[in-house]
Order: sequence, then C-alpha cells, then structure tokens
Amino acid sequence: MGIFSQIQDQMVFYQSWIKNYQNILRMPLDHGPIQTLQNLYKYPWLWQLAKVNRLLTIVTNGRQGNYRKANAAVVEKIVPNLVHLLDNLVKDTDRLVLHEDMVPPEILFAMGLKTWMSELLGILMPIVDSHSVEKYIDIAENAGIPPDVCSLPKSTMGIMLNKEVPPVKAILTSNSPCDGGMASYQLIKNKLNIPMFQLDVPYNFYNERATDYFANELKRMIKWLEKHTPGKMDWDHLRVICEERNKMAAHELELWESIRQRPAPLAAEAIYLSHLWCFNVMPGDPSGTELFEYLTKLANENIQKNIAAVPNEKYRTVLWNPPLLHFIDLFSWAEQQYGLTLIMDSMSYNRQPFIDTSTNDSMLKGLAHIIMTGPMARHTRGPAQNYFDDMFYLYTYFDLDMILVAGHIGCKNTAALNGILREKCRNKGIPLLIIDYDLSDPRVVSHDGIIQQLDRFMENIVIRS
Amino acid sequence: MPTQMNIAFNFSTNQLLETAINNNDIPIGYACNYVPRFLLNVGKLFPYRINANRLSGGTELADIYLSQVNCSYTRSVLEIAMDDQLEFIRGWIFAAGCDHLRRLYDNLQYIIAPDFCYILDVPHKSGHDAISWFSQELNALSAAISKHFQIDINKMNLAQSISDHNSLMESLQLIANHRKNDSLPFSGAEFHRLMHATWTLPIQSMKPIIENIKNQLPNRPCPIQYNARVLIVSSVIDQYEWIEAIENNGALVVADRFCTGAIPQLEICSQTDDPFYNMAAHLLQTNVCPRMMDTYERRLELIDQTIQDYQIDGVIIAPIKFCDIWGVETTQLISFLKKRGIPVLRLERDYSFSVEGQISTRVQAFIEQIMQ
Repeated sequence: MGIFSQIQDQMVFYQSWIKNYQNILRMPLDHGPIQTLQNLYKYPWLWQLAKVNRLLTIVTNGRQGNYRKANAAVVEKIVPNLVHLLDNLVKDTDRLVLHEDMVPPEILFAMGLKTWMSELLGILMPIVDSHSVEKYIDIAENAGIPPDVCSLPKSTMGIMLNKEVPPVKAILTSNSPCDGGMASYQLIKNKLNIPMFQLDVPYNFYNERATDYFANELKRMIKWLEKHTPGKMDWDHLRVICEERNKMAAHELELWESIRQRPAPLAAEAIYLSHLWCFNVMPGDPSGTELFEYLTKLANENIQKNIAAVPNEKYRTVLWNPPLLHFIDLFSWAEQQYGLTLIMDSMSYNRQPFIDTSTNDSMLKGLAHIIMTGPMARHTRGPAQNYFDDMFYLYTYFDLDMILVAGHIGCKNTAALNGILREKCRNKGIPLLIIDYDLSDPRVVSHDGIIQQLDRFMENIVIRS
Repeated sequence: MPTQMNIAFNFSTNQLLETAINNNDIPIGYACNYVPRFLLNVGKLFPYRINANRLSGGTELADIYLSQVNCSYTRSVLEIAMDDQLEFIRGWIFAAGCDHLRRLYDNLQYIIAPDFCYILDVPHKSGHDAISWFSQELNALSAAISKHFQIDINKMNLAQSISDHNSLMESLQLIANHRKNDSLPFSGAEFHRLMHATWTLPIQSMKPIIENIKNQLPNRPCPIQYNARVLIVSSVIDQYEWIEAIENNGALVVADRFCTGAIPQLEICSQTDDPFYNMAAHLLQTNVCPRMMDTYERRLELIDQTIQDYQIDGVIIAPIKFCDIWGVETTQLISFLKKRGIPVLRLERDYSFSVEGQISTRVQAFIEQIMQ
C-alpha cells in the first residue's frame, strides 16, 4: 500500500472524525448549556453516546480505500440522525412515542409523531463502549428479572427502572422477537404508567388469515395512536416515506449483488450497520437512500478496479443472529488474522424489500409483511424452516465458506435450533461455529474468550480442512 | 391396606390410560391449554396432556437439541419422546404458545416426525378480532384432524363434545369448591392427582372416579395437618410429589393457579350456534397465561379473587427456570402481592420433581414468615 493511499486513508478518518464532532456539538449549541447540563444529569447515557466517534475508530481500523470510506460514511450517517433523535428529549415531547425495535417507525413518521426506540440505547451503547450497559443489566436483575433473560430487554428494562427514559407519552410494541422482549413491555408500562398498544404478530404468516389479521392490527394501531397521541395519519406522507424506503431498498439490493463477487468489494459494517440503522431507525429518510447509493458506488468502483475490501480475502462467512454488540471489532480482527470476510448477516437479509404504494391498504400490507418477515420475527419466533432455509440460501447465493452463529446465551429460540443446525451443517459439509457469548454483556464471555473460540475453529476446522 | 384417607384418590391413571388405549380409544397429545380439548374429544379420540412423568433420569439427549437454556418441561418431553416412551400418542398438537413450545414442535418434527404433528397459531390478545382469527385457526385444525383421522367433526358432535366437557368441569367444580371451606376433605397433592387424571384420560374414564370421590368426601377429614393455606401460581406442574413436598412442611395447597390445576381451567365454555367462535373465546379469555399481552389486569384480579375466596395465607410463585414470560411476570406479581401485604415466596424450579430438601428449607422458612 503506497504512502499516498495511506495519507488518503488517514484523511478519510480525520475528515469524518471532525464532521462527527461538529454534529455532536450541535446538540449543546441548539439546546443551550443549561438544558444540556440538565439532560446530562437526567440521562447519564448521553455521556456514553457522546463517545460515538469511537465507533468510527472501530469500523475504520485496518480498513483501506473504499472499504474505509464506506464504513466512515455509515458512521457519518448515524451521528447526525442520533443527534436529531436526541432533540426529541426536549422538543415536541407530547408527540414522543416509545416504540419497540421490531416495530418500524414509518407509520409514526407519517402521523407526525416523534420516536424513541426503546432498545436503541441497549443496542448502540455496547457498540460504542463494551461495558456501558452492564449497569442497566444489573439494575434489572436486582429488581428480580431472571439472569437468563436476554440482555437486550434486560438493559432496556434497567434504563426504564432507573428512570432514564425520555419523556414518552405512549408505548408501541409487539410480541416479537421473543418472550423475554414481549414480557418486558408489561413491566415498562407499569413503570411508566402510560398507554400502550401491542401488535400481535402471527407465528406462521404464510397464509391469508394471518396476513389479514396483522394488516388489521396495523389499522387498529393507527386508530389507537390517533386516540392517544396528537398524531394524525397522513397517507400521502406515508406514501412518500414508503417510496423513499423502496429506493433505499433498491440500492441495497444492488449492493448485495456486488458483494456476491469473490473477493467482495465491501463487507461487514458497510453492509450490516448501514442496514441496521437506516431500515430500523430512520426508514424513509432521503439521506439513507444517499448512503446506500454511495455504498453501491464505492462497491462498483472496487469491482471495476478489481480491489477487494479485504485484500487477502480467503474465507467468506455469514453471521447468524444479531452482531456481537459489545465486540463488533471481531470482524476487523478476523479480516486481518485470517482473511475472514463477513459478507452477510441474518439481521440485514430481508425477504420483503419493497412496499406496494398504490393504495393505503397495499402500503399497510407491505408494512405488515416487513414486520412479520423481519429477520427476528421470521427466524427467532417463526417456524424453524424459515431459519434454515434462509441460512442455507445465503450460503449458496453469496458463495460462502462457513456459517458463524452468534450464540447469544439469552436467545432460547435459536439455542433450541443449534442441535438441528449442527446436524444439517455436518450433512452438507459446511463448517459451523456457534460462538458462545452474551449479546450485550462482556462479563459472560470476554472478548478474549470469543477470539479463542474463533481461533480454535479457524485453526482446527477451517484451515486444516 | 388402604385407609379412608386414600381410598377416594386410590386410582391408577396409567392403568386407566392403558385400558382406554386397549379399548381402541385414540390419545391425541397436546402440550398447552390453548389447544382446544373439545376438538380432541370427538369420535374415538381423546385429549392427552403431554407430560414427562415417565422420565426417570436427566435430559441428556434432549439437551443436545433444545440446549440447556430451554424450559425443562420441553426438554423432558423431548427426552422421553426420543426414548420412545410416548409412542402410544397417535397425534401431536402444539400451540405456538411460547418460544420453548414452538421449538419443541420443530425438534420433534425433525427428530421423530410423527404421522400427525400440528402447531396451532394462537393470538396474544383476547379481543373480538383475535377471537375471530383464532376461530379460523381452529377451523383449520379441525379440518386437519378430520382428514388425518377420518373423523367427521361437525357442529353437532362438536356441541356434544363441549357439553361433555362442561359436565365434567361442573362435576370437578363441586369437588374443587371444598377447598374454599375452613376444613378440606383432601390434600392439595390428592386433588392434583385428580386434575392430572382429568387432563390425561378420556371423559368416560373420569366419570366413575369423580363419582366415587364425591360420594366419599362428606365423611372425610382433612388428611394433613397444616399451619397455612397457600396458593400456588405457576405454569405446568405434572408431579403431585411436588405439591406433597410443600404440604409436608406445614402448608396446605388449597388453590392451584397453574396450567394443570383447576383455576381457572374448570370454567365452562359457553355454547351458541358457532362452536368455533365459542371455543376460541373460551380459550383466549379463560386461560390466564402471561403469554397474553392484554390480560395482565385480569391475571392480577384472578389472583386477588382467589386469595379472598380460598382464604389464602401466602402465595408460592413457582416459575420453571428459563421461562422468560413467567420470569418477568413473577417479578411483577411479587411486587403486586407485597403491596397488598400478602406473604409471597418465589420458588424457581425444574419441571421434574427434584431437590426436595431445598424445597423443604424454603417452604419451612416461608411458613414461619407467614405465622409471625
């Protein structure tokens, strides 16, 4: 790698770093020093979020050229969106709705409501600082929540129990993705003492009965929101949001096509972190479409110049289950150590990319499908066939060499499929590693412990074979 | 020689089950209260609540598939199914009731692939829309049963099945009501044996047992000495020995708010000209499993009401480990009961009856707390 490229890479980092801090500083400037201090006192997690530029360091570490640019661009997208979300702490709080991560916010946006995703902090904080949600997990467990419940709802409950939740006026949730997540909302409702609507997602949604039931659930939700919040449904606005989401999805499909190439032009965070943020937190935002357009352009440039995201790409993998939140550095380490490239993951892969915007009903059906076939609803709760079919389809479609499962100890749904998965992989001759760890709590299995598992797998199974 | 204490409850469920099967009755296994027993009670079919009472050791084989972080009920059932001890079951019907049951179904299908294995989608709500959808799901289940077992399930025999079920529940209710009195003619463990038989035997096998018990109860003294009347709140309890272990320590289990108990399972199902809607409404609105998203207040009310009706001195909440819905619910129930000044014990347990010594220690301490 030439000195010029190295300088360019450094420039990418510092430009992005400055841009992100400019965005972060916008918050105290907009809110004023007193309000900012009050917020920092009331919401101590703001201190953690202020470190969001750490994410830039993590995702650019060891990455070069367009791959580095792509990952930096993803962080550059997250930071201003996050600052915008934090505005909701003080502005228009009568419109602020707490929503579960499995309920995409398009309808809320279309109703002119402000959103706060309950699990946002539980997801983002350990990404930025590995140990940052331990405190909240402990609060939940000390309140009597069993330690074996998934650490994501536990950290979310901990934040609520510690009264660090923004001033939300209503709660919107569902029965997904798991019993622990679903059950946590009754506790949250009891704690916040505000109205709550729960979407009932069918288990098996491949029949007309279930689809109709769930589309009607969305209608009931809209009525409920109109009754309990100042929001009013604006179908034209919903159409604009859905069409923008469709554009973003089209670019994402193009991006996925490009990473089928061996070696892949982009990988890891450029694929999954972009999806995680843009499709779950800010769908329908034109800057999301721009980001995916940019990512696709970078990928195509790399293909044209025959440049690999990971210069020594030797192995390609899918990551099943949510990414290892407190250790997302794992893949930059694995790229350098083994030339192991993360191509696709279960959280990004969707089977319902587009929404039919021709009528109000068709939009609702499209959104209903997106929720029902959302990765965790489809894989975690849904029939086992969904889980295995998608996994083996991705294995073939993206020309992969192995399957990695992030075996989060709190995920009973997927743990219960490990036995079948091992046998199926053995029969198909697919190397499989189920990483034992906890999604958000590094005290359960440390980073060294995770690395050790991957090391043993790579050395004993993959390289030897 | 049997004493008066045990004559009434001296029946063998296993023997009666064997007799029924020898009589060409067809046991259909079901694993959750959201499965409609009425639909499994037509023709020669009878509903058999799947249990793992026959499990004699651990769940080593099942753990390979379901993993050790899943509910021990599902692991125990899979273990004995893999050990061919449930071969007599001719059809399996699951409800998509919780994470663990759904995965038990998936694993059973993969490992054993029974001839008839069905999973019923169950709403998490109990309002009109959910009932309508659920009644369609029940219709689909009914069609699948009819087709596989070559049994005509029509409105008439379904109405008869609901009627038979209701009569059985009413008879049991007469026995169960004794528990509201100051003095009880049976122990909680004995009553639990009766309930276990109710959920696993054909209705016709239950009738003589119930009649016999009803006849003997008026002259029967309370078989155990106790210091406190307790309510058990839990999910599935199949081993009466577990209740016995609690009662051996000075508590009398007078109320059983758990899946295999009587509260509120003895409620009768209303009957109109739409039996599917009736069944759907009954199942969604009567069952009080914390899996339901909109029945939290009703669940609390039921516990409150039970405490009053049964003169409860203390509540034992006994969630099975690794059950998230019960784990989170228990935390809230404890806080609810404590606010009302009701002594409460959280007794986390495994499905199989074990660690009797530990149960004794915890229950003894709890009874002392109640008596203070």
